[in-house]
Amino acid sequence: MAGFPIGMIALLGLAALIYFGLAQRVLDRMYLNDKVAIGILAAIAIGSFINIPLFTGRMDISINVGGGLIPIGLAIYVLTRAGTPMEKWRAIGAIIATAITVFLINGLLFTDDPWQGGRDWLDPLLVYPLAAGTIAYIVGRSRRSAFISATIGVLLLDLYDAFYLGTTGTPGTVAIGGAGAFDTILLSGVVAVLLAEVMGETMERLQGGPKPEGHAPNLLRQLSDLQGHQHLAQPAKKELPKNAGDEVTDEGRRNGHAE
Amino acid sequence: MRNNWRISLGIWVLVLGITILVGGLVGPETKPVIDMPDLDFFPDEVSDGRYFTVEDENGRELDKTARFVYVGDEFITQDNYHYRVKRVDDRRAVAELLGRVDLVSATEDVQPVWSLVSSKLLPVQNQPRNLLAVYNTHSAESYVPTDGSDSIPGGGGIFKVGDVFTAKLQELGVDVAYDKTPHEPHDANAYKRSRRTAIQLLSRGPAAIIDIHRDGVPDPDFYTAKISNRDATQIRLVVGRQNQNMQANLDFAKRIKAQADQIHPGLIKGIFMARGNYNQDLSPRSILIEVGTHTNKREMAQEGAALFADVITQVMGLGGRAGVTPGGPGPVGATRIGGDWFGVLWVLGILLVGGGAFLLISTGSWQGAVDKLRQFSTKEWANALRRRKGDKKPDNQ
Repeated sequence: MAGFPIGMIALLGLAALIYFGLAQRVLDRMYLNDKVAIGILAAIAIGSFINIPLFTGRMDISINVGGGLIPIGLAIYVLTRAGTPMEKWRAIGAIIATAITVFLINGLLFTDDPWQGGRDWLDPLLVYPLAAGTIAYIVGRSRRSAFISATIGVLLLDLYDAFYLGTTGTPGTVAIGGAGAFDTILLSGVVAVLLAEVMGETMERLQGGPKPEGHAPNLLRQLSDLQGHQHLAQPAKKELPKNAGDEVTDEGRRNGHAE
Repeated sequence: MRNNWRISLGIWVLVLGITILVGGLVGPETKPVIDMPDLDFFPDEVSDGRYFTVEDENGRELDKTARFVYVGDEFITQDNYHYRVKRVDDRRAVAELLGRVDLVSATEDVQPVWSLVSSKLLPVQNQPRNLLAVYNTHSAESYVPTDGSDSIPGGGGIFKVGDVFTAKLQELGVDVAYDKTPHEPHDANAYKRSRRTAIQLLSRGPAAIIDIHRDGVPDPDFYTAKISNRDATQIRLVVGRQNQNMQANLDFAKRIKAQADQIHPGLIKGIFMARGNYNQDLSPRSILIEVGTHTNKREMAQEGAALFADVITQVMGLGGRAGVTPGGPGPVGATRIGGDWFGVLWVLGILLVGGGAFLLISTGSWQGAVDKLRQFSTKEWANALRRRKGDKKPDNQ
């Protein structure tokens, strides 16, 4: 960073620190423990510099390891790890709903460049993750669903681009996840999970705490033993390390509101 | 578990299938493999020719732009008056005057006390790396009188403007990283695609990054002027408001305008602070420029771009040049601007307010918020900070 003033470095450093901090917290909720989450984040950072070309020619298609391969792989991993069939179907439902919404937004709102009469009341960079986060929370009822929907939803836009270029004969480039850690794919996943987290916590607060219906009796017994708000103010439910046993893990999974 | 593997395998096969399908559409020829011109499936590349007129409260025309104008948008005019849009009716916007901007004093180094102290402890190099990054988000943009069309997907006339800009910078002794990656289709998602180009360029550590565009106002005279005895188009600077670097980039834009007003008066049409991000969240030395409009001759836009190269070189103190024009914004301090520290404070403020609000909402009380914050440094990071042996967390985690 030689040659840049301290103010500029501080601004860049602070923004990156907060972003990576939030990203680590988000990954931590994806069936990963803290150490693995940090490892994945490091892999994303290093992988941001690696682009794998898929096709070259009139249209170049490539996938970035940090911004494309790892987030998409993680989304698929999280989907396959869903504990119950209901959770899995909810996640798939959220992906479909998000995909439809993303295409509607893309096809109806963002067809034109804002410099040629198009509208961008909110930057598309934020619109997709906010839509994905909201839909995933409503349909999928989980933060993990939010991550899957957002990453896969934005990936579909890249596939749409490839389809557009291929069918119209336009020379172009599709660099899936090409901006690495700062690509829309990972950014969408992180923002969507954070939005789902805020919505989830707010809804639970408004309804006076988690609802007992549908939750494991063992978990409810533990909850009823708790006294005072500070115990309910636990961080979002996290998966225990694998060596902690499957029983507790399954309870955690069934606890739909806190995933 | 076996079922999970099946699902996983199924998804990967699906992804592979789509990739192969898309790959089949890619060939060395320009001709599309699937031709469906009548379906109107994809967005139209051509501008509808409509534009916004911005007037003051007395009906005096202040500005014209093809950019969609929203209430709250702000702009600094060529003569340095600062306006904010307060009403938009169809394509006519009304703006209120906020005051006159003193570009020189506004861009003086404003730094908090700690930065002055730290500058004594750490040597701050005033000379940034002698490299500028250039790209075109809207790679189809073209100039009708010269290029024959306002839009040439994959190879717009805007690339040739970028070539002239780059050549002039190199002549002035500045290294340039010019990425000509196309970002079609020309829709609102173009910035999502060009973000990838921008980040690749930024990884090379340029002193600043410039995204070159042209406007879509039909009137060719609106952007043309005699600048330093040359027939050239004027240039509009655009700063995106929806990111944490907004103030830093605005100060950067003011520096550019102040310097241009000294060495090439009339070159900068003004500064538009628009909604959107334009990937300016990636760098506090990021600027979007509109070089003329589609009805201008491209040669005039190229003249404008070459003049702009003079300006940016001096502002950044590149190529061995320091912006020491009498009355100008001063030497290279251009890269050390108060907006950086404003950005730092803004980010910290958002973090405190947003984080505090979330803690209060999720816990319902001040004490709960404090407890949860305490947990953050203990339980939340528990297995990251402890040895593997201590990975076991309490059951309620």
